[in-house]
Amino acid sequence: MNLATSATTTTTTPRHGLMPLNPSSSSAASSLRRPLFASLRKISPLTPMASAPASASAALSTAASADNGAAKPAEKQPVQVAKRLEKFKTTIFTQMSMLAVKHGAINLGQGFPNFDGPDFVKEAAIKAISAGKNQYARGYGVPELNSAVAERFLKDSGLQVDPDKEVTVTSGCTEAIAATILGLINPGDEVILFAPFYDSYEATLSMAGADVKAITLRPPDFAVPLEELKAAVSKNTRAIMINTPHNPTGKMFTREELEFIADLCKENDVLLFADEVYDKLAFEADHISMASIPGMYERTVTMNSLGKTFSLTGWKIGWAIAPPHLTWGVRQAHSFLTFATSTPMQSAAAAALRAPESYFEELKRDYGAKKALLVDGLKAAGFIVYPSSGTYFVMVDHTPFGFDNDVEFCEYLIREVGVVAIPPSVFYLNPEDGKNLVRFTFCKDDDTLRAAVDRMKAKLRKK
Amino acid sequence: MEEKLSEASRRATPSPIQQLSHLAQRVGAVNLAEGFPDFPAPAHVKAAATAAIAADLNQYRHVQGICDVLAETMKRDHGLRVDPLTDFAICCGQSEAFAAAIFAIIDPGDEVLLFDPAYETYQTCIELARGVPVYVPLDPPSWTLNEDKFLKSFTSRTKAVILNSPHNPTGKVFSKEELLVISKACRKMDCFAITDEVYEYITYDENKHISLASLPGMQERTIITSSLSKTYSVTGWRIGWACAVANIAAAIRNIHVKLTDSAPAPFQEAALIALTSTPDYYESLKTDYAVRRNFILQLLKNYGLHISFEPQGSVFVFAELPKSWQISDIDFVTNLINNAGVAAVPGRGFFHTDSDDQSYHHRYVRFAFCKSDETLKAAAQKMMKPAESNGRVLHDTAQSS
Repeated sequence: MNLATSATTTTTTPRHGLMPLNPSSSSAASSLRRPLFASLRKISPLTPMASAPASASAALSTAASADNGAAKPAEKQPVQVAKRLEKFKTTIFTQMSMLAVKHGAINLGQGFPNFDGPDFVKEAAIKAISAGKNQYARGYGVPELNSAVAERFLKDSGLQVDPDKEVTVTSGCTEAIAATILGLINPGDEVILFAPFYDSYEATLSMAGADVKAITLRPPDFAVPLEELKAAVSKNTRAIMINTPHNPTGKMFTREELEFIADLCKENDVLLFADEVYDKLAFEADHISMASIPGMYERTVTMNSLGKTFSLTGWKIGWAIAPPHLTWGVRQAHSFLTFATSTPMQSAAAAALRAPESYFEELKRDYGAKKALLVDGLKAAGFIVYPSSGTYFVMVDHTPFGFDNDVEFCEYLIREVGVVAIPPSVFYLNPEDGKNLVRFTFCKDDDTLRAAVDRMKAKLRKK
Repeated sequence: MEEKLSEASRRATPSPIQQLSHLAQRVGAVNLAEGFPDFPAPAHVKAAATAAIAADLNQYRHVQGICDVLAETMKRDHGLRVDPLTDFAICCGQSEAFAAAIFAIIDPGDEVLLFDPAYETYQTCIELARGVPVYVPLDPPSWTLNEDKFLKSFTSRTKAVILNSPHNPTGKVFSKEELLVISKACRKMDCFAITDEVYEYITYDENKHISLASLPGMQERTIITSSLSKTYSVTGWRIGWACAVANIAAAIRNIHVKLTDSAPAPFQEAALIALTSTPDYYESLKTDYAVRRNFILQLLKNYGLHISFEPQGSVFVFAELPKSWQISDIDFVTNLINNAGVAAVPGRGFFHTDSDDQSYHHRYVRFAFCKSDETLKAAAQKMMKPAESNGRVLHDTAQSS
């Protein structure tokens, strides 16, 4: 049964219809992005903000809000929105998805599955709804989920944590990140990220008024440049954020890298925020939680979620695990961001996390096969494919096809080849660092992957 | 490492509502404290959610249909013409819609006017965004808007006014005249209004919920927030929204995407069914709540509490301790929990102003009546014997828990 079919959106447009706000970086890049934005719906420019990194409003024309019969003419901006929005670019995902729909392209850009989660988890949610578990949950999580998270964490990391004092359930890992940053970072605090990074990190850090520094991970192996990191960390550093397994490169932080980072944290009294949502999609190496490195638990927030592991990305169940004094800060922010997390899904999540090991083994096998399908196909099509140890992403180099930058290549890929990928330059502080690269995802059913590969093999031509 | 906590989070203190709630839980008290129902959500809404899960609508989703339906309803009920494609952000509850709205418009040092008493979450949200909350006391006993105090609260740094109507904790529904005063001031001072309209469908007698945005000159500067929670008794689903003119809505959406990215997918689907409920759903919602309201008012009056203001909307009664009762709100509630086995919320947590006459801040208790018949009857049973003349229950009338 398909509910309200006329009203629902297509499955390839999951994110909100975001409006272009401030596309980042140099004017050269923004003129290249112009064709992309030109196809998107236009909005009023915001009141110009003096110190915006790129005054993107130049690229946008004035509003469609004149459609609103009761409103004044669109040009009148009676009030100014917050300066913090300077850093908030519209997400590249939405732009790509909208273009994809327009051109009927196969979407290997957006990082969520086009297949669904396991029946036993869905049934648990249905049961919870029918049984009336529909009112506010305990703010920091339904007890059975907190316990299930703690049990799973013990199995995975060997660390025993108190479910009530050290586990906080949030609306997805995105909210865990937001709550961690808003709860633990002061304006002016220095935070170090590894570029390329998931797009919410920088935006949320700017909301908190942090001073962001990025260390770039480079192909072919995206290894951490240890000396560069060491030079960047000082007593002024408040926190380092890592994402392992890493989106978009598929890199997994090695034990040596984690220990090196740990030493720097301990020497300089630095917090560590670890986004580990892809921990169950670790193919070429074992996933190691920074929290399990000696001396690190007391200064680490470990974040994760249900969505990727159980193909239920829309349920928005995530969590943060941290020692009580850090958990307190996370919970303060969380309780004023969303107050509580969806109740029936939490019960179902507890059932999910208690899945037998066979579930996780099968997950890895299935994804491993998809990865092989995609990687072989990308190589055959002519890309330079970088090894991806984990996540369901692969980073490739598109330069054999003769395009100047990732955005141009991705537009071409949609229009002429009929496949969507993500141009990763938006994930860097300096977009130049990403212009040769493209991110593909393989969290799609096999037919979709094959069809995409076929299109690329047929239509891409090396220059 | 406690010094690592952000300043904002250190200012925030644990909720007094939650602490007494723990006590109430420990003694198995009848819970008239927290504002969520203990009766089931409507069957057609639950069925829609379970069907959505079974139909594999479980990945990241933006259900545009919600915006379409809301736009229709807003036009029909409030004469508001909004664009469903640009003017909405679907969020994890009104909580998140409010947080996103605040982060979208409040810069460090911006002042935000709030009417006192006020739901406690607004302030911390504003402070997280490094805004400055400024409270304007409503005048007891009827919680009327004092135009003079209100206008005097504006400064050149006032960025927004928060309006929660129908109002938690008092049950007040702001009148058309009061809304006009607010709208005039917002236009004159060129500031935003953020409304919290979660109780919009729960009004009593002749009181009608009027959306501030529908007043002249207000749509361009008002951010409406609301949710499914109270209307459809699904407080645990986390489906809410913000509505504003396109560029403001875009800013809110962009913040929201960084806070949570999206609201739970299957419940967005269910929202379509909920929001297109037939008129008799809303009529019976009102009628059922009116019955509960009358029941609890009688219960409280019998008990000896003073109802200086009968709720015009919402699911709360803000009852007054008679002047002859030499007991504070906290002591009264603690005593009520321990000896009568009924929980309510001391009113002081809702007051924030340092007014000259603060004596009334400790004289109110909030009772929620969004509870099943069984619960309300159980409360009546436990509070059958009126309180002693000092407001205390001396002997234990509670059932053993």
